[in-house]
Amino acid sequence: MPHQLEITLKSDLLDAEGEGVRQKAQDYFGIVLSQVRTIHLITIDADLSGEQLEKVRTEIFTNPVTQVSSYNPLPIEFDQTIWVGYRPGVRDNPGSTAVEAVEDVLGIKFGADEAVYTSKRYCLKGSSLTAEVADMIASELLANDIIQQWKIFSEESYEPSTGVGLIIPKVILNHDPTVSSIPIDSDATLQKVSNARNLALNPNDIPFIRAYFLNKKVQTGRARVGLSDPTDIELEYISQARSDHCNHNTFQGLFRYQEYAGAPVEVVDNLFKTCIEAPTLELKGKKPWVISVLWDNAGVGRFDEDHYYVITGETHNSPSNMEAYGGAITGIVGVYRDPLGTGKGSKLIMGSYGFCVGHGDYDGDLRPRLHPRRLLDGVIEGVRDGGNKSGIPTTFGQVLFHHGYMGKCLVFVTAVGLMPATVRGEPAEQKTASPGDLLIMCGGRVGKDGIHGVTASSEVFSEHTPAGHVQIGDPYTQKKMHDFLLEARDEGLIHFITDNGGGGLSSSIGESARFSNGCEVQLEKVPLKYQGLDQWEIWISESQERMTVAVKPEHAERFLELSEKHAVESTVIGTYTDSGKLHITYNGKTCAYMNIDLTESGFPQWEFDAQWQPPEERGLSEPVLGEPADYENLLLDMLSRPNICSKEWITRQYDHEVQGASVIKPLVGANRDIYSDAVVIRPVLDSQKGLAFSQALVPAYSAIDAYLMTSCTIDEAVRRLIAVGGDPEHIGGVDNFCWPNIQYHPRDNPDGKFKAAQLVRSCRALRDMCLAYGIPLLSGKDSMYVDGHLPGRYRETHKVSAPETLQFSAIGVIDDMTKCVTMDCKMPGDLLYVIGMTRNEMGASEYYEHLGHTGLTGPKVFPEQFMPVYKRLHRAIKEEFAASAHCVCRGGLAVHLAMIAMGGDCGLTADLSAVPSELVKRNDTILFSESAGRFIVTVDPDNQEQFEKIFDDVSCACIGKINGEPDFKIKGIGGKTLLDVPVQSLRNAWKDPFGGMV
Amino acid sequence: MNDIHALVLTGYGLNCDNETAYSFELAGAKATRMHINSLIDGTVRPDNFQIMVFGGGFSWGDDHGGGVVQAVRLKNNIGDRILEFIEKGNLIIGICNGFQTLVNLGLLPGFGNDYATRSVALTFNDCGNFRDDWVTLAVNPASPCIFTKGLGQMELPIRHGEGKFYSDESVISRLIDSHQVALRYVLANGEPANGAFPFNPNGSLHDIAGMCDPTGRIFGLMPHPEAFNHETNHPDWTRTRERTKRQGGKPDSGITPGIRMFQNAVDFFR
Repeated sequence: MPHQLEITLKSDLLDAEGEGVRQKAQDYFGIVLSQVRTIHLITIDADLSGEQLEKVRTEIFTNPVTQVSSYNPLPIEFDQTIWVGYRPGVRDNPGSTAVEAVEDVLGIKFGADEAVYTSKRYCLKGSSLTAEVADMIASELLANDIIQQWKIFSEESYEPSTGVGLIIPKVILNHDPTVSSIPIDSDATLQKVSNARNLALNPNDIPFIRAYFLNKKVQTGRARVGLSDPTDIELEYISQARSDHCNHNTFQGLFRYQEYAGAPVEVVDNLFKTCIEAPTLELKGKKPWVISVLWDNAGVGRFDEDHYYVITGETHNSPSNMEAYGGAITGIVGVYRDPLGTGKGSKLIMGSYGFCVGHGDYDGDLRPRLHPRRLLDGVIEGVRDGGNKSGIPTTFGQVLFHHGYMGKCLVFVTAVGLMPATVRGEPAEQKTASPGDLLIMCGGRVGKDGIHGVTASSEVFSEHTPAGHVQIGDPYTQKKMHDFLLEARDEGLIHFITDNGGGGLSSSIGESARFSNGCEVQLEKVPLKYQGLDQWEIWISESQERMTVAVKPEHAERFLELSEKHAVESTVIGTYTDSGKLHITYNGKTCAYMNIDLTESGFPQWEFDAQWQPPEERGLSEPVLGEPADYENLLLDMLSRPNICSKEWITRQYDHEVQGASVIKPLVGANRDIYSDAVVIRPVLDSQKGLAFSQALVPAYSAIDAYLMTSCTIDEAVRRLIAVGGDPEHIGGVDNFCWPNIQYHPRDNPDGKFKAAQLVRSCRALRDMCLAYGIPLLSGKDSMYVDGHLPGRYRETHKVSAPETLQFSAIGVIDDMTKCVTMDCKMPGDLLYVIGMTRNEMGASEYYEHLGHTGLTGPKVFPEQFMPVYKRLHRAIKEEFAASAHCVCRGGLAVHLAMIAMGGDCGLTADLSAVPSELVKRNDTILFSESAGRFIVTVDPDNQEQFEKIFDDVSCACIGKINGEPDFKIKGIGGKTLLDVPVQSLRNAWKDPFGGMV
Repeated sequence: MNDIHALVLTGYGLNCDNETAYSFELAGAKATRMHINSLIDGTVRPDNFQIMVFGGGFSWGDDHGGGVVQAVRLKNNIGDRILEFIEKGNLIIGICNGFQTLVNLGLLPGFGNDYATRSVALTFNDCGNFRDDWVTLAVNPASPCIFTKGLGQMELPIRHGEGKFYSDESVISRLIDSHQVALRYVLANGEPANGAFPFNPNGSLHDIAGMCDPTGRIFGLMPHPEAFNHETNHPDWTRTRERTKRQGGKPDSGITPGIRMFQNAVDFFR
């Protein structure tokens, strides 16, 4: 019989969680509540005696100092009470740890049918609180109907003795696992099946798939194992492997590119090969620190003789868009499995985030599934719990608001790991699976979670997207697995390792079995969360926190012993072979038998028409703007803009110092509240070497040209790295593309050809910049279809597409991290320098955006001019002639001078006529142009001569100095004072927009 | 001189073990990272160690209160061995999640040799969120705490969601009277934080950041001394370096306050 325990804080303790709900109800909806108290419910669906129940109540679930609890509903006052619990099958992390704890305390084992479920009850008090309002609070604030259910009781409808009642969200499928055959008598039949089963097969692939299964030789082989027509598991496998998410069909596609309408067609065959692979291979030849690229889950670079760093980045957009918390936590925890599954495995040492959402104050007619404000709250919390509970510092991150992300948000997550150069004398970055190796699945169990997640993220989001692909990551289970696998690695037990992410076992086994050229999998051995999954579901389920490992038979015993010590489940589910076949059985009966190389051979290439329209032809021109007279309010307003202002509350809720390696933190300066250009960690604690990391995200320039956007994004990431002391000779890159659908369709995607051309241009910029700056692309991913169809006022729908977005990460090794600098100005009297040329490049700038314009001429990147400057700055920092260095990026010189002043909590005086510039006649241009390649540096007057000598042949000028006074003073070109404002006012403007958030 | 051995627990979601072990090594101890289960199954015995470290992390995901399940598991399986360890005059330090574990084990406050009763708690921060920030701490010079002996005001990072020290006023008075309150959150100028956020980052009653048992040999604190193991961990180090350089000085690459706390533990046995 189930038992339900209610637990709450004693009444004299502040209920911070309830208080948060009260505050949000007021801030978001104007609902005034006088009190919110939370009650935690533990529903124990197990046969426990009264004595046992009392023991777990007092020893585990109730803190005698702070809490009260009872197996009867607690008499907490309310006008409305809202119960919120998970839907069946949704990952309940506290429920699982409760089982562990109860088993330990009572010395029992739960049966397969027994479990613990957690839920919450909120007791709301408010003078005019109706059930309707409570329901709104439940659906808009407390719960997401994709993963949660709720019940509302008023004071009258609530029965104090029974409370909210017992709800057991147990999954009961009552289904016998069945393999079905799929008829393939015609393309149309298979297409129909694809549609009905949500396989998302590309129509062009269908004849190829049929041809394979109709091939006489194939059929003879299949007949020997008792198969004829393809089975559902086989087609699901092909669907996963061929999805754009796994196979990158778009980047591998054929583009017919035209520079303008009517221009000659250039055929671009495979953007990946020409713009990513080719330059990276070329650079790998020149840069001995590049260890492993382009094949594994993450790229590998040399940190020092004994250590390699490992990096990759990805996005988790579609799931986050539907369930922000679940999507984001699954995203960050998921990307952490990539370095863990790189080479023979690496320890995770750092993570970062990038969130792109609609405007937080949006109050228009469109109705996204989650309001951007709520969506942002959710993704922030998801990455917080995922990162913090993994024990991995989240050291860097950016947030960007843009209307285009209303259709689908972007959640970028990046992971950095560290591996020893060798494991027991073998190169750690290499791995292989050999015939005879055991195929072991480690970590979590398999349920229906995430089925068709990969194919869903390869589609435009619509109301028919299956909600089942939303999951909740479990950092606790994964942290145990991480510790276990590293210990196993160090003992030399891991022959091959990869993660189970998109596509689940189908991907991880499909990929790893290519190394041995075959495998046999006994699917019935896969541990399940609950019975009743079909074979194909087990095969493609994306249940999280799992790795696939190849272990030599002689190492299996020790491997499983270590697994048990770490309380991690590991199961031998098959064997690697060299049969050339992927052979899956279930209780001895074959359910899949395919050539192991099927999914990478001979499928037709995707094709795209790409037609560029130069910005002039799209009607862009420079706005006719007179020069402003009130620079003070202009600057204050610029600092308050959502994409410029402080978001300290996010940074502070992420543990950015765990592992004890922090050197340059995300927030720096006298008051430790201004964003650093980049972060630096000391991943090998007894070494002076540092690992520097930065990211840039400036999609605004795509409104003019994605080539411009891409080159500016890469230049910014590079400059950020250089500004803290990064070495221009060692910069590794990670490209993460997020693009709207580029397949032209006259009705559904009329501007598809333009977006395809933007992608071609972006990739070309990536290639050009990487070659010019010498940045091998250590890793990268693409996420297409960043579009959504949002209902409007009349239930009509609007397609909203994201701006073409690239997040670029830069990473590099610093020889001596004690030479690093931060961006804050340090001492009164220091000289203020601007390095690099300011040009009239205001197009798509924050300033124009603020005034409602786009403009035409955006910042151009000139790597051959910039790189020598970056090398000089690197030298100046290394030789300790720079007291601070900061890259001038979004918002221009005005905003970034303000940043260094706020950073040092010190006033400054600057004279715009001294700023190195080219054909610039106006103050607002100097102040707000976003020309690339620039830095602000402050210098001790004693070092003036040496510093200036380093820069004597490039654009660099002293434009003023740091003051002992609290004022920020800027003199215009004509000598007139444009700005004279206390630094504290700047700080207030910058911090106020989100100042109330903690 | 005999080696002093520190045992640093790992596993089940604990996560500060590497830098904690490193910091103890810097402080002169021999540090061993050991999985909780290896202690439970007897692979290692506490007898071989002088210092036991309950480090930071999210043991069991902190799902039922920070450190609660860890405390339950240790008490059920090796509670007696931990008590023996204490009786032998050894040292225990609990940092963050480890502090939460110590109070849930009842090892703190340890009034009258009672190492089983839970009478203080570390509960949810008043600010309602996890927080990573550096705080200024005042050391109670009258405290019997071994770890804080001779230390002055210092800065250390805090990183927690459940660090609000809470108890009955009577318990707190007793803690204060017996100088078991070893560390308090203060303003930069050393004056009491008096609950003011963010100086007192979590709403701890009486600004309590760390406490010991009456013998001073069991110490728990929310801040992370092991995360200040190098001068460059300090948020102001680039500013300090610049100032020092201008004054003709050399950057201080000496021992950080975090490491000194661990040195005190090592010195206790020498």
